[in-house]
Amino acid sequence: MSMTDGPTPLQTAAAEQAAEDREASSKAPGRSSLRPQGKRKSGYFSDRWHALSRQQQWAFLVVVVVLAYMLPLINPPIITTEPGNNFALACFDMARFALIAVGLNIVVGYAGLLDLGYVAFFAVGSYVAAMLTSPDSPYLHIPYLWTLPVAMAVTMFFGVMLGVPTLRLRGDYLAIVTLGFGEIIRILATIIPAMKGQVGFQNVGHPPGDGADGTPIFSNSNGVPWYWLTLTIIIIVTLLVGNLERSRVGRAWIAIREDEDAAEIMGVPTFKYKVWAFAIGAAVGGLSGALFAGQVGFVNNQKFDVTTSILFLAAVVLGGAGNKVGAILGGALVSYIPLRFTAIAEYKYLIFGIALVLIMIFRSQGLLPARQRLLAYGRTALNKVTSRDATETKDMDKPPAGPDARAAGQRGAEA
Amino acid sequence: MTLLELEGVSVHYGRIQALRDISFTVEEGEVVALIGANGAGKTTTMRTISGLLNCTEGKITFAGQDITRMKAHIRVVHGISQAPEGRGIFPGMTVMENLDMGTFGRKDRSGVSKDLDRVFDLFPRLKEREKQFGGTMSGGEQQMLAIGRALMSNPKLLLLDEPSMGLAPQFIRQIFKIIKEINNQGTTVLMVEQNANQALAGAHRAFVLETGAITRSGTGKELLEDPSVKEAYLGVG
Repeated sequence: MSMTDGPTPLQTAAAEQAAEDREASSKAPGRSSLRPQGKRKSGYFSDRWHALSRQQQWAFLVVVVVLAYMLPLINPPIITTEPGNNFALACFDMARFALIAVGLNIVVGYAGLLDLGYVAFFAVGSYVAAMLTSPDSPYLHIPYLWTLPVAMAVTMFFGVMLGVPTLRLRGDYLAIVTLGFGEIIRILATIIPAMKGQVGFQNVGHPPGDGADGTPIFSNSNGVPWYWLTLTIIIIVTLLVGNLERSRVGRAWIAIREDEDAAEIMGVPTFKYKVWAFAIGAAVGGLSGALFAGQVGFVNNQKFDVTTSILFLAAVVLGGAGNKVGAILGGALVSYIPLRFTAIAEYKYLIFGIALVLIMIFRSQGLLPARQRLLAYGRTALNKVTSRDATETKDMDKPPAGPDARAAGQRGAEA
Repeated sequence: MTLLELEGVSVHYGRIQALRDISFTVEEGEVVALIGANGAGKTTTMRTISGLLNCTEGKITFAGQDITRMKAHIRVVHGISQAPEGRGIFPGMTVMENLDMGTFGRKDRSGVSKDLDRVFDLFPRLKEREKQFGGTMSGGEQQMLAIGRALMSNPKLLLLDEPSMGLAPQFIRQIFKIIKEINNQGTTVLMVEQNANQALAGAHRAFVLETGAITRSGTGKELLEDPSVKEAYLGVG
């Protein structure tokens, strides 16, 4: 049916909209000064990015990726973590954290489920790799590279196991239960004899291949190949997650994060999608754990405490929850700062803390805030949006804005 | 034909009983209003019908099918759509994306553009604002968006929870006109309202809800003239 069937309510619409404008402007009189028009700080990079053409974006990406691969070889002065820490190993550690942050970002950033026990999945992944490759383990042994998919599958299973009973809880309650889960895994590793507690597993496997001098390429002391392997995995995972983000699944996650009840009555099977977020996030965490176990070559129960979980969460929040590139940056940074300042050992966590506080003050949405608008309509729509209204993007948590947003919207409509 | 039927429905929050033995029907093509004071159980009734709450006793039938144990996201597919109280839009999504979420459970993608046109016809303001974020819009616009989004699933039954809440008087009149228009286009409407005057004037039939039970029912006009309703809800008497 069209307007012609029922024009009555519409003819008066203009007058009533005017009245309603008055209502809206009287509602939030003080807010206008908070937001400068036209430019918003936190979206600066993403705006610049989307102003580029597709080719420019690709060219830029290629340069960034090549630079990222070259990073441990260039070993840039100032940036380097040496002499305190081997820079290539530091790069691997940054990559490991970045991968974890990408995984946790699915759970916390997209689906909005606060998970304080993410280290448990990391631990499960580590133990899977260790128990399937270490000579200390009496079980079946398989080549190291095969443990990566196995670790993902096993952690995914754990994700579902944890998710099904707990995802009926919301917010704080979920956070507390996941916190407990993290501890359970750590304590199980201590008390189950087969997991060898503090003794742990030595000589965890590594990918095959020997260098010219007969030593394995993927040795514990050589960070470069491990870094390259992890970086490659990050790129693959990020591409996959990006596709997921733009799909129906991604939209469902964002809807759940924004308002779970509303998502449910829009026809989103919220429970199912929450379990999926947990499972996929867990799989990435497990993958990272398996890589870590391989590089370090030793797994015991000492590395999987609550502090580590909080650090993972800090990486996601710091980078910008809901933005995968932000998560990569945040993860790398959380790992990098303490490594960089090892030389002044007493102060390294002071510097770390100050850095976190400063970032949160100046970029409260994270380094790269989530671009929530990209969800449904892909690039064309997005470009239209960015060119038309650069104003209203960041403050989605804030209640209806004042006259400036309104004015901006009208400008957008006229354009 | 009876579209929705509640038979002896009771709902508890833990040990507190919020609804006691509620029974009513909504016929196809009607506008039905539920009025009542704060805490009477209006929103609970809505959430029970849309499936966000489970009833502890009783039976809910929709279009001849027992939906008592059906999950909320499946009820949408069957044709029940709700514009939740406090609007419940997705603040970080644009108007267009919000509307798109409304089609999430739809099987017939071909009908989407027709319904989008319908929503934009009803709410021209939404078309102007299609690229704006839900959270940055005024209360009235958010209400339009919530109703528009609910319509995007092409429901048989539209549930409106306090459509006039927090709106300016002039805008309230517009919303009720639009509700009437939606009904004229063939959608059955069940609404919950505190603004009894407007709701009763616009409804074919209405029920008065008091502390979790239906105490009065009749056509909208009858209730408007009922002295006890007048006194309790219309501010005269």
